[in-house]
Amino acid sequence: MPRAFKDKLLSDDFLVTAEITPPKGTDLSGALEDAEILRGLADALNVTDNQRAVMRMSPLAVSRALLDRGHDVIMQLTCRDRNRLALQSDVLAAYSLGVRNICVMSGDHTTKGDHPRAKPVFDIDSVQLLGALRKMKEGFDLSGNNIGGLPGMTVGAVSNADPSKPLQMLKLRKKIRMGAEFVQTQAVYDTGRFEVFMEQISDLDVPVIAGVIPLRSVKMARFMNGNIPGINVPQEMIECMENADDPGREGLSICAQTIRDLRGLCRGVHVMPIGKHSRTPELLEMAGIRKG
Amino acid sequence: MIISSAKPFEEILELLEGEDDIFIMGCNACAAKLHVGGEPEVINMKQRLERAGKHVAGWMIPSAACSVASFDALVEKNPALKEAKVILVMACGSGVSTVSRVTDLPVYPSNNTDSLGGRLHGEVLPELCAMCGNCTVYYFGGICPRGQCPKQLINGPCGGSVDGKCETDAAKDCVWERIYLRLERMGRLDLLEKIWECEESTG
Ligand code: SF4
Ligand code: SF4
Repeated sequence: MPRAFKDKLLSDDFLVTAEITPPKGTDLSGALEDAEILRGLADALNVTDNQRAVMRMSPLAVSRALLDRGHDVIMQLTCRDRNRLALQSDVLAAYSLGVRNICVMSGDHTTKGDHPRAKPVFDIDSVQLLGALRKMKEGFDLSGNNIGGLPGMTVGAVSNADPSKPLQMLKLRKKIRMGAEFVQTQAVYDTGRFEVFMEQISDLDVPVIAGVIPLRSVKMARFMNGNIPGINVPQEMIECMENADDPGREGLSICAQTIRDLRGLCRGVHVMPIGKHSRTPELLEMAGIRKG
Repeated sequence: MIISSAKPFEEILELLEGEDDIFIMGCNACAAKLHVGGEPEVINMKQRLERAGKHVAGWMIPSAACSVASFDALVEKNPALKEAKVILVMACGSGVSTVSRVTDLPVYPSNNTDSLGGRLHGEVLPELCAMCGNCTVYYFGGICPRGQCPKQLINGPCGGSVDGKCETDAAKDCVWERIYLRLERMGRLDLLEKIWECEESTG
């Protein structure tokens, strides 16, 4: 039996997690194929939850389908679409379906997605949801009723990795104080800046898994800067992309170098390609952390 | 103050379709300050209704439409109210609702009620407070994230702000930026350390 993600977090392994997007519709085959590419390469697959406020299949169902096929999953859970009743109830559902890792986040605002008139819930925030999950693990719901606990459940959180943003750092500290057992970050390009980020939280004993998104074009690199919060693509990287004959390949090679640099700085990488994972095996091989 | 804004006159005429002998009731509190229920607006409304062929039975401007002693007390101020068949209240929703409690006449609103806000140097400041019923605004430097953050985040900002602007509207500052700067000026950044847990009664 393969080791659980929880045990891997406690080991010295350099971990790989990767994002799987639920289908817009009922056909799971695309998501399952994407997961299949990652078999033996990723330690756990993050299943996104109506990411960017775009309506898709519930991560509950997708998580179960992945578990059935032998993948370990990290189910994402946002505060945007559910009040405290629904959040707790979905945590119980996830547990009963076999999910043992949950990663919580506030979630993008409904106005950014494909149903901009949807009522945003935000009954509780990610820090409070971590508190709720801690209580549930101890055996109680938010009202103090006995629910029997969630043995073996691991709970994580997300963060930007920008040490120049004191409020982001403060919120991350709150998340860890409220029991986050691992942290997955927004995409990292500037490993120097990431190193400062890691120094700032060096007093905290929490495994950090750094996000990476391979660049695909110069346009994408430029767009990231200034449009995607918490992301900073260094100028030299943009220049490398400009001078490359094959920008896709160059993006992968830059990302592989980033992963090699991250290896000494944190506990793993979280791969979030734009689109499918077709080139993720190649990326991990170039980075020298997995054989493709 | 309660922030309200005037409905388009055409909508008011539509509301008053088939109604006549209208009594106009302004409000000398928020609505007067916001110019949607003070004397100039009430007189203007009277003239426009008359030009539209309506008979206006009379008008008055109580000190606050949301604080009324009784119907008789209102009649004492202007006996023409007794002849009215409908009342048009130029106040916020609370004013309309309070007046509706002292009479069985139809009571119509001339305004839309938007939020609980304020006014500073003549500028309207909307959505300052979400009326959560347990005021803790001091911890946020007097800038309430419950009222002003579109996600009502009270433990710190979301990850979606770009260059200090709000994820939902690039023209608006992230309220957490403003909270931070204010607490920094006050030398009270320590207030941000507090974790606001989710409180639920266990009764
Ligand atoms: S904490 Fe905010 S929402 Fe609650 S009463 Fe105070 S200002 Fe209003
Ligand atoms: S950017 Fe700031 S104000 Fe806007 S939703 Fe996020 S935390 Fe709230």
